[in-house]
Amino acid sequence: MKALRLAIGLSLAVLATLALGALHFPAPPDFFLLVVADMARGGAAVPAMLVGLPAGLFEDTLLSPGHLLGLHAFSKILIGYLLATLGARTVVEKPVAVGGLLAGAVLVEAATLTFLVWVLKGEFLPPAPWRLLARAGTTGLLGGLLYAASRIPWKQRRDARRRVRLT
Amino acid sequence: MAVPTLAERRPEIFLAVLLSLCLVALSLQVRRPGGRTVGEGWLLTAVSPFVDLVTGVRSAFHDAGTWAASRHALRVENGALKAEVDSLRAELLRLRDAEEDKGRLLELFGAQPTPPPGTFPARLIAVESSGPFQTALLDRGAGDGLQLDGVVLARSGLLGRVIALGPRTARVQLLADNTAAVGVLLTHASRGGRVAVAKGDGQGGVSVEYVPTIEQVEPNDVLISSGTDGLYPGGLPVGRVKAVKRNKTLFWEIQVSPAADAHRESIVFVLPPVRKSDITSGPSVAERR
Repeated sequence: MKALRLAIGLSLAVLATLALGALHFPAPPDFFLLVVADMARGGAAVPAMLVGLPAGLFEDTLLSPGHLLGLHAFSKILIGYLLATLGARTVVEKPVAVGGLLAGAVLVEAATLTFLVWVLKGEFLPPAPWRLLARAGTTGLLGGLLYAASRIPWKQRRDARRRVRLT
Repeated sequence: MAVPTLAERRPEIFLAVLLSLCLVALSLQVRRPGGRTVGEGWLLTAVSPFVDLVTGVRSAFHDAGTWAASRHALRVENGALKAEVDSLRAELLRLRDAEEDKGRLLELFGAQPTPPPGTFPARLIAVESSGPFQTALLDRGAGDGLQLDGVVLARSGLLGRVIALGPRTARVQLLADNTAAVGVLLTHASRGGRVAVAKGDGQGGVSVEYVPTIEQVEPNDVLISSGTDGLYPGGLPVGRVKAVKRNKTLFWEIQVSPAADAHRESIVFVLPPVRKSDITSGPSVAERR
């Protein structure tokens, strides 16, 4: 079930990334981060990291073709571990807090990527601040919304409506 | 506080492995300006101590070989140089000796620029002065033109006369010989000269006899040959008065330092013997110059 959920999540992330890229969306959210965060929600670090690896490789393939394969994989594995560790030790319930956490994860990932490029290529290339903040904001917003949506008891509501119709 | 076990550290180990794999993959892709990837650079950096070690050992062996070869070559060269130095030292001594001989010859020729005909240079090859008979040996003899009673003259004065001749050697009776005698003029700058007879004392010195005590004699008075003895020409330096003593007789006891010392001379001139016509107060050698 988890594998299916992961496959669907990654597929949607790829599709969404391609779609927003085709639309020239100025600050698209990090869909792959959302997939990794979803896997890290239970506090299991190893599955989160195992998801972070293909998610990052997909992102490398999509966002920087012909460049460094493994750059986003590195950052996604690290983010997956951090989110899972945080999820195991704290309880984050409110969607706003979840959104803030995801926005922070975007910033941490950006810092990690900048550091890696500096180590590997010797060039210090930080992203544009407004663009980074926008990406963090959209990712946090989308993540918060998805989290809030996931907390709605859709099944119970459906069952309740069905019982009302039957009675 | 309990130490986490390996199983509890599983996520961290997994994280480290995955991140390392990513780093390796990335380092193999990044190409630096030098043309090699970062991974190759890291690999080279990691193996550089081993490369340095191997290079150092190889260099040390090479240096040791070079050192041994150069040491052997230096020893051989050192031996050759030592032999050359010895040879040069011997050559230097020979040249110094020749230089001294040349100086003496120049001095002799300078003193007598026109020696009498029949004058021959000769080398003193031996001096016998251990007994009362004081003689010397020359490296020239009758075959070289030397004559019996030839007058032997050193650079500083009269040395003696030839008393025996061989084909290539000649024996000289020195003035210090116990049986030698020469007529002399005892001269002083203010008093003129006084004829006397100088005799060898057999001990390397000469003494003057038969000078009455009424004559004034002082140390450093000069003795020259008088030319009246039939053996030596006049005017040749014989010596200087060394000491004057009064004894119980009517004559002074005068000791003379010979002008020429056979031990200090190596080259001498042998003048022809005095002719009977020269016995009188005729021209001396000095006057004949």
